[in-house]
Amino acid sequence: MKTWMRFAAVGGLSMSLLLAGCGREEAGTAEGPGESIADGPAEGDITVWAMGAEGENLSVMADAFMRDNPDANVKVTPIPWDGAHDKIANAIAAGETPDVALIGTTWMGEFARTGGLDPTPADLIDETSFFDGAWDTTVVDGVSYGVPWYVETRLLYVNKDVARAAGVDKPAENWEELADSVRAFQEEGGAEWGISLQPGGTGAWQTVMPLVWQNGGDAYDGDQFTFDSPQVVEAFDYYRAFFSEGMSPTDLPEGSLEPDFIADKIGAFVSGPWHMGVLADQDAADKYELWHMPNRQAATSFIGGGDLAVFKDSKNRDGAWKFVQYLSQPEVQVEWYAAAAALPAVEAAWEDPVLAQDPYLAAFGEQLTDAKSPPTIATWEQVAAELDSGLEELAKTDADSTEIAGVIQEQATSIGAGD
Amino acid sequence: MTTPSTVTGQTRQTSQRARRARAGWGFTSPFTALFLVFMAGPVLASLLMSFTDIGSADIRNPLGVNFVGFEQYGKLLEDARFLKAAGNTALFVVLGVPLTMLAGLLAALGLNSGLTKFRGLFRVGYYLPVVTSIVAISVVWRFLLQPETGLVNSVLGLLGIDGPHWLADTSLALPSLIAMATWRNLGFLMVIFLAGLQAIPQNLYEAARIDGAGWWQQFRYVTLPMLRPTMLFVAVISTIGYLQFFEEPFVMTQGGPLNSTVSISYHIYDQFGFGNYGYASAMSYVLFLGIVALSLLWFRLLSSRDDR
Amino acid sequence: MTTEIAPKPASRQRTRRRSRGTRPRDRVARLMLHLVLLIGLVVMVGPFLWMLLSAFKSEAEVRQVPPTWWPVDATVENFVRLFDRLDFPTYFTNSVVVAAAVTVGNLILCSAAGYALAKLRFPGQRLLLGVVLGTVMVPGMVTFVPLFVLVSKLGMTNSYAGLVLPFLAGAFGVFFMRQFMLSIPDELIESARLDGASELRIFLQIVMPLCRPALATLGILTFLGSWNNFLWPLVVATTEDKYTLPVALALYSVGQNNTEYGLLLAGSVVVVMPVLIVFVILQRHFVRGVATTGLK
Repeated sequence: MKTWMRFAAVGGLSMSLLLAGCGREEAGTAEGPGESIADGPAEGDITVWAMGAEGENLSVMADAFMRDNPDANVKVTPIPWDGAHDKIANAIAAGETPDVALIGTTWMGEFARTGGLDPTPADLIDETSFFDGAWDTTVVDGVSYGVPWYVETRLLYVNKDVARAAGVDKPAENWEELADSVRAFQEEGGAEWGISLQPGGTGAWQTVMPLVWQNGGDAYDGDQFTFDSPQVVEAFDYYRAFFSEGMSPTDLPEGSLEPDFIADKIGAFVSGPWHMGVLADQDAADKYELWHMPNRQAATSFIGGGDLAVFKDSKNRDGAWKFVQYLSQPEVQVEWYAAAAALPAVEAAWEDPVLAQDPYLAAFGEQLTDAKSPPTIATWEQVAAELDSGLEELAKTDADSTEIAGVIQEQATSIGAGD
Repeated sequence: MTTPSTVTGQTRQTSQRARRARAGWGFTSPFTALFLVFMAGPVLASLLMSFTDIGSADIRNPLGVNFVGFEQYGKLLEDARFLKAAGNTALFVVLGVPLTMLAGLLAALGLNSGLTKFRGLFRVGYYLPVVTSIVAISVVWRFLLQPETGLVNSVLGLLGIDGPHWLADTSLALPSLIAMATWRNLGFLMVIFLAGLQAIPQNLYEAARIDGAGWWQQFRYVTLPMLRPTMLFVAVISTIGYLQFFEEPFVMTQGGPLNSTVSISYHIYDQFGFGNYGYASAMSYVLFLGIVALSLLWFRLLSSRDDR
Repeated sequence: MTTEIAPKPASRQRTRRRSRGTRPRDRVARLMLHLVLLIGLVVMVGPFLWMLLSAFKSEAEVRQVPPTWWPVDATVENFVRLFDRLDFPTYFTNSVVVAAAVTVGNLILCSAAGYALAKLRFPGQRLLLGVVLGTVMVPGMVTFVPLFVLVSKLGMTNSYAGLVLPFLAGAFGVFFMRQFMLSIPDELIESARLDGASELRIFLQIVMPLCRPALATLGILTFLGSWNNFLWPLVVATTEDKYTLPVALALYSVGQNNTEYGLLLAGSVVVVMPVLIVFVILQRHFVRGVATTGLK
């Protein structure tokens, strides 16, 4: 007993001594754009982390870069998407980061806030060469911390057969037309469900935030959250109606979406470019047509993808940024598309015939010019989780939109924006 | 040992005790050294974290955080999701632990004494769910529980019952996960019970049989008492494991529908993911207290006299 | 089964002097038991079989609802693609080295410590046991970040040391071995001491052989845990050549927005095989221990 008490006393004393030295300093001055990098070819080792098997394809691009910059040695390490966020966070914590890494667009705010990312050098790149929405994913507190690499956006995948049977010949242009079309899919088109929207749950915000943006609203105005604004509540009502009127299922079993869509049981769904490949794998490449997002005050969709960032702990800052600059050239962006089927973030790359002449891809390219990303605040993932929860209640119960919006606003405000 | 009356006898006894003590330290020191560095250190550090407001923005400068005392712990009581998770976790443990222990014990008994051939095959087979990837398990179980085409509802349909949508029903999702966890973990417990059963000396059974004991009496008066240390171990380990259940909701339901399957570990995982390291650590240590409390309860119930 | 030699009391004349289990009632009971166990086996093994069969299906067929059992169009495409992209020898070697080291290390360290905590008396014993037990109860996730920072400060990232050392001192293993060793009769140890054997000799030559079932069990559990470990090897390795198999698998099958199930299942089959082999080899030791003969 006595030994235990002595142990605790010593422990307690050392802890309090340690903690006496703690305390956060007042927020430092905001960072400005990064210093320019030196001219001339890149040199030295450049370590790069890229996610997914695409990371491997990056080695091919790196070879071309090394031909142009013979004194540089690019080493690419592919890391799995599963766990990538944790790996980068831990690397920053331990000060053992690579020079360059691919970072998911929704992680930028959080990692920038750690102070672990290097601000983009002022004259490195012309920001107008990227899609607006894409560039905005790199801007945190007015400073850019990276460069968009590839993008994705969401469109409506509409079942051609169901649409024709329902007498719907052209894409819906606004909210009312969309609701009417979906209803027609069900009533005349023979589908069991006019549309399949995600009924809340992880990631449902990517379906609903676009509705908010289309309605002229947003989640955050730079100072505070605006979830309880009328634009948001209206968007919630619109979303909710699809479920309460029986147009979208609330409990579609996982994995059923594609088979049911192909079997004409589902009239439409919202997704990104990867679904083209998934449907092609199931021999359904001609089954669908792509609709632009409906217009209300705007016809905005969600933009995601990946940004390239350089770390503060990088040992070869110049070389790292030069490599990033190289990857942002339109020709290289097109090569990257050819290698990894990832849509280029640079607008000029879309003029290449490979992208311009495919009708499906052109549809994505078109939507990319009107696509937004969520606020690049450090706490977005946590706020989004509250939003997802609220959306689940909206979809699955008879909760009231104003009430739910109020709850989300309250929770978001208590979470704060992370500054 | 008889107490010797001579002085040399006394010295021999003390030197024997000293020798045993030295051996004790010798045997435990390699373990203790590594343990202190890689286990105790991080545990202390994370405990400290729970008394601060450390977040992901501070990871490059961890000493620059504010000491906030028990504030993070207090926040838990106002966190609706945490309270729901605590309720779900409690239910999971209260139902799941006895169920899995019983299933594991029955399987071990069956394989130990009931089989004459193919024992190895059965042992491997029952253990297979433990080694099968959670991805494969989740795909199959999702199929089993599917509302229209799933196996469970098809069988129920044969009996004229209209099966519900198991994973989408807020009152049935958690029980479904309990069934899945029991299925998955009974092999693990079975293996430990088998080890314990093997250690019971055969002559005890022979003696019982000579005294006329039937199967049930042998079980009650030989097997169960001899299995006590094993049972205690199994009970504590299952409780520890089930209090931290994470993979089932993570893979099958993502905590839904409407938070009916979110567990404390799932909530901790989310909070670590959001970068709220201080809060997540506080939650972890509250969970730890829960684990300790339940384990002490088991020790009370199942500890044999020579334990402690 | 033994046959009694001594005459039995009259009250048990009904019991035949043959081994039990041959009466019709016993035979039916035995048959029922076999049946129940067999049904249980099917239930247990089903998903594993599905995983095995589905690894040979195309991506479209794997995603089919309702799922199929036997592949409609069996293909080895998943395995070919996997081995083509995976630097299998490197990842496999890493997984084997790490899992083997952690397992052997645990078996040695934990049985030594477990024995001391069960059978020896030394100062600080209670404290150590309490602390070890306490650590078993700490939720795993909470120590991850501090542990990684520690390992990095020790310069052990991207090395076998960083992959192995943190897991050598397994609190679970110590707890497990201690509980098991409690049931070893003290008389055995005492009589060996009386014979003048050193503590080390007693441990190695008397106690350890009695622990075969427990060692086999701990070996399997530790090997499985280490083999399937994903997050730690992912975070510790900074170059691919130190990746273990689960990490490499996730690399090729889980994308940012979708998962390639065919590859994932094929990978799962590949990853599970060594564990199964270890299990099949070790489970033979779940046989009646030498514990019984030791008492004579």
